[in-house]
Amino acid sequence: MIKKIMAGAIAASFAMSPIVASAEGCTNDTWNKVMSRGKIVVGVKADYKPWGYRDSNGEIVGMEIDMANDVAAKMGVDIELVAVQSSNRMQFLEQGKIDLMIATMSDRKDRREIVGIVGPNYYTSGTNVMSPKALGLTSWEDLRGKPVCGKQGAFYNQIVEERYGAQVIAFTGNAEAKQALRDKKCIAWVYDDSSIGSDLSSGNWDDFEMPLNSEDDNPWALAVPSAERDCVFGRFMAGMQYQWHQDGALIALEEKWGIKPTQFLADKNAQYSDWLAE
Amino acid sequence: MASRFSTSIPGIGKNGSTDLPVLKPFAPSQPVAFNTSAWLANLPPWTGLVLLLPMMIWPFASHAGGNFTMTDAFAALIKWMPFLLKSGFLFNVIISLFAMLIGTFLGIILGLGQISKTGIIRRFSWFITQLFRNSPWLVLLFIVLLAFPFEITIFGVIIMIPDWTKAVIGLSLPIMANISEIVRGAVLSVPTAQWEAAESLAFTRQQILWRIILPQCFKRMIPPWMNWYAILTMATPLCSLLGVEEIITLSRQAMESENNHPELLVPFYSFALGLFFLYCYPIARVTMHLERRYSVKI
Repeated sequence: MIKKIMAGAIAASFAMSPIVASAEGCTNDTWNKVMSRGKIVVGVKADYKPWGYRDSNGEIVGMEIDMANDVAAKMGVDIELVAVQSSNRMQFLEQGKIDLMIATMSDRKDRREIVGIVGPNYYTSGTNVMSPKALGLTSWEDLRGKPVCGKQGAFYNQIVEERYGAQVIAFTGNAEAKQALRDKKCIAWVYDDSSIGSDLSSGNWDDFEMPLNSEDDNPWALAVPSAERDCVFGRFMAGMQYQWHQDGALIALEEKWGIKPTQFLADKNAQYSDWLAE
Repeated sequence: MASRFSTSIPGIGKNGSTDLPVLKPFAPSQPVAFNTSAWLANLPPWTGLVLLLPMMIWPFASHAGGNFTMTDAFAALIKWMPFLLKSGFLFNVIISLFAMLIGTFLGIILGLGQISKTGIIRRFSWFITQLFRNSPWLVLLFIVLLAFPFEITIFGVIIMIPDWTKAVIGLSLPIMANISEIVRGAVLSVPTAQWEAAESLAFTRQQILWRIILPQCFKRMIPPWMNWYAILTMATPLCSLLGVEEIITLSRQAMESENNHPELLVPFYSFALGLFFLYCYPIARVTMHLERRYSVKI
């Protein structure tokens, strides 16, 4: 219901907001704005540990915040972090409320039509479910027609519904979704496999398991406003990501924030390695 | 001697008693209509403690194995309390105060518009009042937050509009409409004989309104006005659905940082509940007191 209201409101606000983007030529509005005011506003997550979350002082920290800080340092400007949610991050970027979005967003075709996603992808994750061992799920097809808990704004909610016919109950927070799983309101909780993995290894979920094969490697993408995609800002961010892969900065950050090393980052690091380097 | 006499006089020396019918003092009956403030104020003060009880008991009851105990959950809550209070609840209070200020100001104008002698103003004010009085608050918030610009440029100066100020505007709209109805109702509640008496003394309409009618209305409007303030304050967590940084939004983010253990849910939300109760309960008590004091005497 809330999702529908949100979608309607977003559609309405798009209709009301003035059309600025012109297809021809680069005006580099966002880039120039950032440079002239000497500050970049980056939209990050504050509810996605360890990518973006609050420490107990209320400061937003995390792996993506480190990446954002690096971007600001390379541009030579100050940084302001804005906490965004999955349901409003693209809206904020296109409105101009934020200049850059690094917010655990999966790279999807429909999203590329809305915001300026530039490659190469900086991370990837898979989707899996956590479910009670007693249920003994073996395949995604077992979810058909059954209630499954999820988090609002995650694109795989829709995929699980369409591909496997599950009935997704989306919550605003993961704590609520996990409590619903415990209360047996749903047979499984669908989320990122890395996050489920760390929950299971914490020892608080002994009666639960991650029984399925991870679905879809979902590459993650950062985004600039769509008008900037093929202009200075878009090219610059593509270069930043390329460099992070090449010099192993992302692998170092992954280790710093205690994320399980992924094959994806190792592969990219090898793929982009400098042929002259030792 | 005298004292012996006085003790025998009923009503002086001893309690009066009679078999004759006695006219008891007039006690106005309590208003019957349901009223949030009245309901809240009639709760005994220890209700707050009772409300916090689930906070103590629930984690025991729900605990389903694992090594995250409720002690850990409370340690987490205590660690986050200053942040939730300073960056969270304070904003709920600020949002409610500003929304009330703007809503009251516009509501009074609109309410006076509703009793205007000019038909077009009266009908327009009526329409605006009904429009915002009968719309869901959440929908108004969505429209204001998503459709309004995040920054405006005035003479080349860029002014940022933070989300919470947009929440203020969004919440002040329904308050405006309800205050408008309060003003209209209060003016109409003054007996028409006063209008006629004032007219016969050659007061103009404006003078009657400002010098005779409105001063009487003011006292009558205070209790419902405070009632709406309490309702507004309790409605501010609606903003969390839109990502405005207030106590519920930040509670969610804090729970995320504490790894989303379901054990955290009740302590964190109970903390928010306790804060709202502590803030709204005294307001409700004062409202009740004023209501009794200013109740219409005929």
